Amino acid sequence: MVKVSTPADALYGLEELLLVAGKLLGEVISSRTVRLYATQGLIDRPGKEGRSAVYCHRHLLQLVLVRALARRGLSLSAIAPLCVLADAELEQQLEQLDGVGAAATVPYPPASRAALDYLQDLQSSRESTPTTDAFPAHLLSKTHSLSPVLGMLSEPLSTQARSERSPSGSRFGGSTREASSRWLRFTLAPGIEVHVRESVSLPPAGSRRQQWLKRLLDRLNELIDDPFS
Amino acid sequence: MTQPTLRFRPLRPAVASDRPSSLDLLLTITPPALLAEPQRQQRPPLNLALVIDRSGSMGGTKLSYARKAARFLAGELTNRDRLAIISFDDEVQVVVPSTLVTDPQPFIAAINTIHSGGSTALFDGWLAGATQVAEHLDAAQLNRVLLLSDGQANHGLTDTTEIGVKVAGLTQRGISTSAFGLGADFDEDLMGAMAAAGDGTLAHIESPSQLADLYASELQGLATTIGRRVSLGVRGKHGAEVVDLLNDLRPTGAGNHQLPNLRAGQELNVGVQLKLPAWIPNQEILSVRLAWEAPGSSERQTLIEHLTLPVMDSEEIKQLDPDEVVAEQLALLRANRERRHVIAELDRGDVSSASLNLSQLYEELSAMPASPRLSRELDLLNEKLALLKSDPKRSRKNLKRESQRSSLNVWEGDDEQT
Repeated sequence: MVKVSTPADALYGLEELLLVAGKLLGEVISSRTVRLYATQGLIDRPGKEGRSAVYCHRHLLQLVLVRALARRGLSLSAIAPLCVLADAELEQQLEQLDGVGAAATVPYPPASRAALDYLQDLQSSRESTPTTDAFPAHLLSKTHSLSPVLGMLSEPLSTQARSERSPSGSRFGGSTREASSRWLRFTLAPGIEVHVRESVSLPPAGSRRQQWLKRLLDRLNELIDDPFS
Repeated sequence: MTQPTLRFRPLRPAVASDRPSSLDLLLTITPPALLAEPQRQQRPPLNLALVIDRSGSMGGTKLSYARKAARFLAGELTNRDRLAIISFDDEVQVVVPSTLVTDPQPFIAAINTIHSGGSTALFDGWLAGATQVAEHLDAAQLNRVLLLSDGQANHGLTDTTEIGVKVAGLTQRGISTSAFGLGADFDEDLMGAMAAAGDGTLAHIESPSQLADLYASELQGLATTIGRRVSLGVRGKHGAEVVDLLNDLRPTGAGNHQLPNLRAGQELNVGVQLKLPAWIPNQEILSVRLAWEAPGSSERQTLIEHLTLPVMDSEEIKQLDPDEVVAEQLALLRANRERRHVIAELDRGDVSSASLNLSQLYEELSAMPASPRLSRELDLLNEKLALLKSDPKRSRKNLKRESQRSSLNVWEGDDEQT
């Protein structure tokens, strides 16, 4: 179990964030990792104070969750849907990590880490392209130890995903291999679709949903300007 | 003696003092011979992943041989070695996660479950194999992915350059990759690029019956590896300019080049061409730096040698007999390079130019003093010429493999004439 007991209104600079998260996880986290996760949308964009980035409790929760799951062998694209959850749910996810593959959290020797990190980066950059599958089969060998997490991924976290579907939305099973790759499809305009994995819980209507949509829109904007990101 | 040695063998043993000249030179790197028959217990433990293509085209005989050869590989490993087995079509399956080979039986049982399926997600298969090796990466071991494929990568990442870059990134982090192409349809450019970037072995086999021999040779090669991630730096001094390295080695940055793994008893030859100004006696012409990692140590070792040669009048030098062994080696390296030109012509669809250039190469080499090595080379060229007419695709494959002998460990089976 990873218990994040820091105050919910705490603010951190980048260095502090790395330190606090590092302590919780028992590993050294680099600023590069944080930037990578931020550009991949796994961590919200930091706030700004003057010229320096400011991180809050939510950033910490996201960072710790991503690292904790990545260390257990989950690909970043499998983790991504969890990162948009509300703070309370993020905390809950972290607490659910209790007992999940304790052996998997034993740190690797450093040389091995470098190669593994590298391969995980390759894996995650592969998954940002639409041709790859969300759940790489090579991770399936670990499924026995990950079953709680997988179970969580393969079932909708709430029923909202279905009930919030727009009139033009339709459902299709993308792949026969994993229940986790069921997607909702929203047709926005001719030739333009948005696909959302069913396990992603959409924020309820209102200000939170608007914020969420705005973040996605910003991200889309970045992607359009920089197709290599 | 545990260090390799580096020798300079000039075509003619002097440089001109009266005018600018060029100098043809062979660098010969000789790894130490093993003192005795390599004992299995003495070699570093192996950490291997065998990645097997099970796409539809592998069905039948090929896959049954691939299973047989994988069983053979499992049987050859000891309880100090790790083996993972991955198979892929458009999906990747970890048949056996990386495990110590205390008993080959579970491996054999699992291998027998591999059946052929769909398309070829070659990169994803490699990635899964690499991950298995990475999870147990140990610098004291030989960590390698063995990739066997008979097809074109047609699912997932397929770009040769991009895959090469990614494989090279893993090599830097201590895991090498060997690429084995099987049959008539694999992508020789991709497999060659992966073996080069992977600091491993390249093999083309036409018959799956050669697989067991290939794996045996790969194990033997790993057992006798004394240097990996080998780099060669060649620098002209005092105005001497290196104009060409005939081997077309892969650049490694900082102006250095990658050499194949150093294996006990296996000599490497690099052809160098230099341009010199009128030379002053006793000046160093060239400095050469060889660097490598010994298995079990991540510290790089280096060997540096300098070349000086006597000076003479250019007319006198012309009277000197060229060293025949050097002349032959340089000609063989040039012949490998000429194969690359022929391949480029084939790729443009210009079969007649390709054929013409290949026959010219044949003529040039036949004019040289006969030797067993040269007559073997002439046989190879003759085969390719005949194949250009009957089976240009196969001719290209073989030309490609032969061209890479200058820069890579390329497996050559005993019965490859068949």
